[in-house]
Amino acid sequence: MIDKQTTLAEAIGAIPDGATAALGGNTLHRAPCAAVHEIVRQGKRGLNLVKTAGAYDVDLLCAAGCASAVSAGFVGYETPFGLAPAYRRGVETGTVEAREHVCASVIAGLRAASQGVPFMPLAGMDGSDLQAARGFARIADPYGGPSVVAIPAIAPDVAILHVQQADRSGNARIDGTRFEDVLMAQAARRVIVTAEEVVDAVEPAAVAIPGFLVNAVVEVPGGASPCSCAGVYAYDAEALKAWTAAARTPEGARAYIEDRILAVAGVGVGA
Amino acid sequence: MSEESFGPPEMMAVALARLLRNGETVFHGVASPLPMVATLLAKRLHAPDLVYLSIAGGVDASPSRLPASTVDPVLLEGARATVTLAELFDLSARGRLDVAFLSGVQIDGRGRVNMSAIGPFARPTVRLPGGAGSALLMPTAKRVLLWRAKHDPRVFVDELDFVTAAGNVERVVTPLCVFRRAEDRLVVETIHPGVSPDVVRVETGFPVEVGSKTPVTAPPTPEELAVLEELDPGRVRASEF
Repeated sequence: MIDKQTTLAEAIGAIPDGATAALGGNTLHRAPCAAVHEIVRQGKRGLNLVKTAGAYDVDLLCAAGCASAVSAGFVGYETPFGLAPAYRRGVETGTVEAREHVCASVIAGLRAASQGVPFMPLAGMDGSDLQAARGFARIADPYGGPSVVAIPAIAPDVAILHVQQADRSGNARIDGTRFEDVLMAQAARRVIVTAEEVVDAVEPAAVAIPGFLVNAVVEVPGGASPCSCAGVYAYDAEALKAWTAAARTPEGARAYIEDRILAVAGVGVGA
Repeated sequence: MSEESFGPPEMMAVALARLLRNGETVFHGVASPLPMVATLLAKRLHAPDLVYLSIAGGVDASPSRLPASTVDPVLLEGARATVTLAELFDLSARGRLDVAFLSGVQIDGRGRVNMSAIGPFARPTVRLPGGAGSALLMPTAKRVLLWRAKHDPRVFVDELDFVTAAGNVERVVTPLCVFRRAEDRLVVETIHPGVSPDVVRVETGFPVEVGSKTPVTAPPTPEELAVLEELDPGRVRASEF
């Protein structure tokens, strides 16, 4: 067994500026927030974030100047906390490019990468301006059927996923909804798994992501907070409320990041 | 419970629930409290065999409490099976999803939606959250039900800034009325009790024919209200207002 357990600082340190980074989870749930905080502390720049539906993770990386593009179907905090203020500001001022997708086209792009093909046909999108705005090509069916939209492969340089349990070689268990995490692990060139707990062995039938796909494992209890982690904790409404209020202005966002993220040392076993 | 004991959240939840039929496969995504409530309400009323699907991945979940976030893991409680979001999109893509609930920051007179941007797409005045799954679901689900808890001329516009999604919209439920789509135009099917036709006309940014002869939406029955209250004592149905 290869021991891939490391620190958050080392795992995130291996991500180059300008990388395409897929983030696991969905909106307020099981986002890899501790890893995102470490990205902010390390001051990464120029990241292209990939996610079907993001919230705090995407918003924070936009606020901190780490993200320059977001490839997602939806960015927002849902009904409880509304729009993503820093993401909005980034796109409206031109520092962040909204590479808007359909959630299903993020999946299609990841599927193409995971299957080793350059694009994936996708049903639907008829009548949507997204085809033209994003340059998604419509191609003829070589066998004479109706045309389909061709979504280019999305091969993330790194997938960053937070799970409930992993072993030291990266076999990862996901309780509750898996979202696109498994697909991201298949499509990405490198995979970083943060886990609520690292154990000697994960029950094989419960493994969602086999260890041979994983490059780094970090034990981070609370690693999805302030988002939820199914079966372990709910989302932290107070923290999300505080962040979304602070993030309404660039000054507020900066102060929050300095006080609540930069001032806190990186966590993770061995850190 | 008296007949007056309902407001727009109750009227909308009940109106949406009534549109669902027994045995249908029904899906809602992120940020969808009213569809979540309506679907669970329909299952308890007239559609016990409706198949409740959500982005949380639960099949026929029976959550112990209704969450404010409609991706919450509580929507896996009591589920008979779990599926991935990719599988749910595939279901719609191959024409097997009966109903998708979707919404729009802007909705035009053809039932198309903008969830992307106000102003130019590349450098918008207001960047919106994005359409999530709507550009796939709207053209591929058999019936699309739109809902929006706000009905004013900024929502119901004559011209969208951007068409995020278009497709098989059948009805649109608002706090004022129910629109039905006929020959690619939204027409007022019923006005909710106590709403004047003038208000619907003024608050809708595209031309609508509405008047004293427009039918009134049947108010929620005592049974509908009782089941709704039992299902949603925390009034998640009101969270979008």
